[in-house]
Amino acid sequence: MTDKKIFPKSLSVLLSIILPGLGQVFQRKYRSGISFFIAFATAFAVTLWYGKPIWFIIPAVIWIWNIWDIVSFPKGKGLVIPLLLWLLMAYGIGGQVTEFNLQALFSNFSRSRDMVSQLFKFDFVQPKAERIEGYTDIQSPCSDFPPAADHEENGVRVYVVQTCANVGDVITVIGEGFWPNQLTTFYWQNPIGGKAMATEATSDANGKVTLEWKVLSIVHTTAPDPTIPQIHRIKVSQSRPIGGMELSAVGGYIVQGIYETLALALLSTIIGAIFAIPFGFLAARNLMTANPVSTVIYMIVRTVLNIVRSIEALIMAIIFVIIVGLGPFPGMIALTVHTVAALGKLYSEVIEGIDPGPIEAIKATGANWLQVARYAVIPQIVPAFTSLTIYRWDINVRSSTIIGFVGGGGIGFFLWQWIVLQDFRAVGSAFVAIAVVVVILDFFSAKIRERLV
Amino acid sequence: MLKVEHLTKVYPGGTVALKDLSFEVSDGEFLVIIGLSGSGKSTLLRCINRLIDPTEGKVILDGIDVTASKGAELRHIRRKIGMIFQHFNLVKRSSVLTNVLNGRLGYLNPWTSTLGFFPADEKKRAMDALKRLSIDDKVDSRADALSGGQQQRVGIARTLMQEPTLILADEPVASLDPVLAHSIMQYLEQLNKEDKVTVICSLHYLDLIQRYATRVIGLKDGVKVFEGSPAEINREKFKEIYGEEAQDVRATALE
Ligand SMILES: Nc1ncnc2c1ncn2[C@@H]1O[C@H](COP(=O)(O)OP(=O)(O)OP(=O)(O)O)[C@@H](O)[C@H]1O
Ligand SMILES: [Mg+2]
Repeated sequence: MTDKKIFPKSLSVLLSIILPGLGQVFQRKYRSGISFFIAFATAFAVTLWYGKPIWFIIPAVIWIWNIWDIVSFPKGKGLVIPLLLWLLMAYGIGGQVTEFNLQALFSNFSRSRDMVSQLFKFDFVQPKAERIEGYTDIQSPCSDFPPAADHEENGVRVYVVQTCANVGDVITVIGEGFWPNQLTTFYWQNPIGGKAMATEATSDANGKVTLEWKVLSIVHTTAPDPTIPQIHRIKVSQSRPIGGMELSAVGGYIVQGIYETLALALLSTIIGAIFAIPFGFLAARNLMTANPVSTVIYMIVRTVLNIVRSIEALIMAIIFVIIVGLGPFPGMIALTVHTVAALGKLYSEVIEGIDPGPIEAIKATGANWLQVARYAVIPQIVPAFTSLTIYRWDINVRSSTIIGFVGGGGIGFFLWQWIVLQDFRAVGSAFVAIAVVVVILDFFSAKIRERLV
Repeated sequence: MLKVEHLTKVYPGGTVALKDLSFEVSDGEFLVIIGLSGSGKSTLLRCINRLIDPTEGKVILDGIDVTASKGAELRHIRRKIGMIFQHFNLVKRSSVLTNVLNGRLGYLNPWTSTLGFFPADEKKRAMDALKRLSIDDKVDSRADALSGGQQQRVGIARTLMQEPTLILADEPVASLDPVLAHSIMQYLEQLNKEDKVTVICSLHYLDLIQRYATRVIGLKDGVKVFEGSPAEINREKFKEIYGEEAQDVRATALE
């Protein structure tokens, strides 16, 4: 402690101005010197990387503090303040990088309320209804010799008096053969099948419905050149409830999607389980470590299972989508591969845990290999295998929902499309349907597994 | 009926469990093997039915060299040798009936029995065995639902299905309380006396040894250190077999 002033103070102040901490080091205060250097360097580097100049305040204050520290040597100013500043910066930048914004939860509320409320207007079933439909093709814009806009089918006739339509025209659409005094829906379908306009009118007592319809420029938004005449279609329909409920279009897709998802998950679970059985035996320490060759096989199988298991099924699905293309198949392969690895590992643990006593006892009765396997090994492993497999199916149903998002088929694929199309009623219905299925499955799988143990 | 000649067993780790062991057993004997834990009793019993392959030496049963046999021949020898275990070694999840029927596997068609088919007369035989051990009321229970004494009776019933000429019992009563121990030993005695089954049994309790054994062999570190009648086991012999420390504990039982 006596030779503290061995180094001139003024020089060390200069050193600390050039490089924070250097002066402290020359005064043999190694710890505080290194701390100042690290604090300054990291603060500077982080701010530089983040690129918002305001944060340069922090390294600057640390730098000044460092000078003050060496000026007031040998007492020093301590490291608490720079440390707090450093933490402030770390949290501040961290928060901004993650766009941490609690306010957003509330400020966007009114905008999101419409969407969120849609989520709860489930579109799953609709009243059963019967329909009358008719249509006519119509040219727009008009050419010199437009074809007649008149079409009759099954006693329903739809025609347009003007035969063709330019943007801004008011056309007269007439439908005949409809139900009388009934609300009638009109759709304008553009040449690529999109809904361009829609409106309603009521039919008269004779089942004739007349609509004066202004043609908006929107009908040409998809046309490469809106001056070239193209064939559009006007669809006219009535529908009336006939009592009872039926699946809506979305409901039908949900049922189909869930069915696909369950089947996909079941198939990949079963195929995966079958392949997992040999791997389970090959990865069982108690069976495989008797001689060097089998020990090597054991280690290879175990390592491969561990690696494959650690790859998310979703990532695998993306890879298989690239290899085999969109659809349920790549999702199924991904799930199967993941299942083989996961179940293989779990099966091997079951096999490692079997009691050798019964095997010994049944061998001792003069039973052959097959009989020993059947009566001593299988009763010990089958319940656990079954239980693990059912649990795996449970997991696979959930994963295959997510895998559907990347084009792997099933309910996930529909859900993805509805999210993109912002059909929030369908999204909400799909959520509920998935939740219900998962809960039911969970309940029964738990019940079955309870029985097996 | 049984001849053991220069039997030696060295485990892969290098443990010498049995060292140059020779003895003979005649028909109808109740031979008890005693010895400290680790002295090689279990190893010896398992070498006799070849659950363990001895390193050297021979086991000859009714003139057939057990140590040289393999495959179907070995299985035919095994089915005439019953085995009873300290921890019963029942298949816990299977029913009592299945466990008992398992004792018959060596006699049955391997294919049909693997498919789970047991002839009706075998089922009747199993019921008779269970009746004999007064445990027929548990026939449909799962094996692990039974108490230790009941499980050991099922173990004996399984052995009965083999119609054995020799029974190897490895500490059959070590996990049972003294009263149950006697009841299990009495079943073995009954088999020995009435069915003329030769019994080789490892035991730890002196009172049981003196009550049931017709002859005793003492093992220490895989070497035979005693062979004689149970009456011959005195303080000195006991010290020899069980070591100095055991003397106080065990010898009091001799007074
Ligand atoms: N599978 C094995 N591998 C290696 N060594 C073994 C094995 N089984 C037994 N041993 C060793 O062989 C020796 C004899 O064991 P054994 O089980 O025959 O003794 P025991 O007399 O039956 O003992 P206990 O009364 O505890 O059952 C012991 O030293 C034991 O550690
Ligand atoms: Mg033992």
